[in-house]
Amino acid sequence: MSATRDLVGVAWTGLMARKVRTLLILLGPIIGVASMVGAVGLTESAKGALQVQLATLGTNLIIAQAGGTFGSQNPTLPGDAVRRVDSVSSVTSAAATTNLSGVISVPVQGASTYYEAFPVPVRAADDSLPSVLQVRLIDGRWLDSADRVLHLRSVVLGSGIAKQYGYLPGETRTIRLNNTNFGVVGVLGKVPLDPTLDNAAFVTQWAAQHVFDTNGKPNELYIRTKDGTTAATATVLATAINLGGPDQVSTQVPSNVLAAQAQANKTLQKVALFAGLLVLTVGGLGIANVMSISVIQRSSEIGIRRAVGHSRSKIGAQFLLESLFVGVLGGVLGALIGIAVVYLVSSLEHWVVEIGYGQIPIWMGLALLVSVIAGLYPSIRAARLEPLETLRLG
Amino acid sequence: MSTQDPADPGPSPDPGDPTVQLPTATGLAGPAVQPLLELEGVSRVYGEEVEIYALSDVSLQIMPGEFMSIVGPSGSGKSTMLGLLGVLDLPTSGTVRIAGQDVSALDDPKRSRLRGQSIGFVFQQFHLIPHLSALGNVETALLYRDIRPRERRQRAFEALDQLGLGARADHRPVQMSGGEQQRVALARAIVTEPLMILADEPTGALDSANAAHVLEIFAGLGTPERAVVMVTHDPTVADTALRKVSMRDGRIVADERRVA
Ligand SMILES: Nc1ncnc2c1ncn2[C@@H]1O[C@H](COP(=O)(O)OP(=O)(O)O)[C@@H](O)[C@H]1O
Ligand SMILES: [Mg+2]
Repeated sequence: MSATRDLVGVAWTGLMARKVRTLLILLGPIIGVASMVGAVGLTESAKGALQVQLATLGTNLIIAQAGGTFGSQNPTLPGDAVRRVDSVSSVTSAAATTNLSGVISVPVQGASTYYEAFPVPVRAADDSLPSVLQVRLIDGRWLDSADRVLHLRSVVLGSGIAKQYGYLPGETRTIRLNNTNFGVVGVLGKVPLDPTLDNAAFVTQWAAQHVFDTNGKPNELYIRTKDGTTAATATVLATAINLGGPDQVSTQVPSNVLAAQAQANKTLQKVALFAGLLVLTVGGLGIANVMSISVIQRSSEIGIRRAVGHSRSKIGAQFLLESLFVGVLGGVLGALIGIAVVYLVSSLEHWVVEIGYGQIPIWMGLALLVSVIAGLYPSIRAARLEPLETLRLG
Repeated sequence: MSTQDPADPGPSPDPGDPTVQLPTATGLAGPAVQPLLELEGVSRVYGEEVEIYALSDVSLQIMPGEFMSIVGPSGSGKSTMLGLLGVLDLPTSGTVRIAGQDVSALDDPKRSRLRGQSIGFVFQQFHLIPHLSALGNVETALLYRDIRPRERRQRAFEALDQLGLGARADHRPVQMSGGEQQRVALARAIVTEPLMILADEPTGALDSANAAHVLEIFAGLGTPERAVVMVTHDPTVADTALRKVSMRDGRIVADERRVA
């Protein structure tokens, strides 16, 4: 329709004639939509990162620890705890570690004072620990049966300790554990589900019992279950481990923490969405205000247009269309800015960008709706102006 | 060569007075020609508790080809009359007809279209839209008429060029003198080729040189089909028209014609 084309031209010219004013009223929908798009995009991208992490780590790991509520000095689990756990049908694999609290690890000769003051935890670990944790070695190899059978004094460093000791990949390094030389054979990758493992050095159970004279009773078990049985398994594990004995056992599913983190972001997203909505509403009031003033300022223009034959409805439509353009333009610019922010932050945080494009039309539609509603009253006023009064005939 | 006839507010000449038998548009065309515009017993009352009769019981016919002035002191109802003639306003009582059509019977879109198609307004304060160029202002009168933008621009430019403003087409109102602005307003009024041009004190805001120029243009705007109506409080300006309607206190007190 040519009338629509004319109307679009008139409204657009009207908006562009007052660029600063237009920019100001654009801020509402721009910031509103940008913050909503940003809120959803950022939380989704962060959650996406968490979910990727959860998927690779698995949500079926249980950590069982000796102690429970009433802990003794150095609580332990039964020596055959792994075998007991393995007998639970929903358990797929398990590995134990033992804290060697009396063992001091020193990376270089003669620096023992510092490392005695800040001891690196040394732990005896089963061969299967990395596979249970689903964590790779970032250098070298893990402890294996050869170490035990051949009584090798091998040590694997946690990723944090490797960094602290300045261990270089492939380097031949001997460290001293209670004055006994141990050769570094590998570095364990990061363990997001239990960061305490990043700051430990690992030796075999053989070394624990025969070099350091411990009883071999584990302190922690790492247990994988069949998918979907984790929560149920966790509740029966304590009984399965102590079999009614005196040992206290506590269990936790560490991935629940990450899952809760993703959940917490959901709340953050709601807050940000609400803030965006608020900005949009306040922006709408701004549009209504500025448009109302504009109608008064442009009353003579309105009178002129009526005099040359523009009908009341055309005048109303002209002003409504200006508001509508503000909504469309603000929505589009806001969405672009929001998307840009999500891309920027995601690249800084190494997240995989998750925009939530499906929701953007909703926010843009909302901006449009708010703008049109805001423009409604000023438009009606413009349409109702009496041309003779605005023209002040001489 | 004019006649004073305060007793007769209507357009029909007093048959008893031989001097009114002039070759006006009315006289030449005879009763077969329909008036372009007709006011019949029109009153326009402002206010509710205190009623102000801006026009009281006015009757007037404007024929095609007439060049008419409406003169009277301030507050005599001239502008009110012009608003009614141009369908910018409706009478409190009485009938306003354009080409035989009672304008009170029309809804706003129809009335607006009638106004846009048959009337061209010129105001004392020029009333140009400040953010539009001269061309844009003239084009405004051609909007919503199913005219292609290119043709609209072409016609607007021709109207400006006709009034010697071809070189000013891109200028905004603030960049032009009063005389130029009023000529843009005139171009806007004639670009639609209206049946009637209504001007309210068109020279009121101009210096004498520009006023004379604009009056000259006005005298040339008439065609056999078109009527030109000019409101003024200045008797010398009023006398440039061939028909002079004098007003006082909302009534027509004289309706005089002269030969060109
Ligand atoms: N909008 C209005 N409200 C109230 N009174 C008005 C209004 N417009 C005009 N009038 C009154 O009507 C009378 C005629 O006004 P107007 O037509 O403007 O006269 P003129 O143009 O001859 O100076 C004046 O007394 C004026 O005060
Ligand atoms: Mg007046």
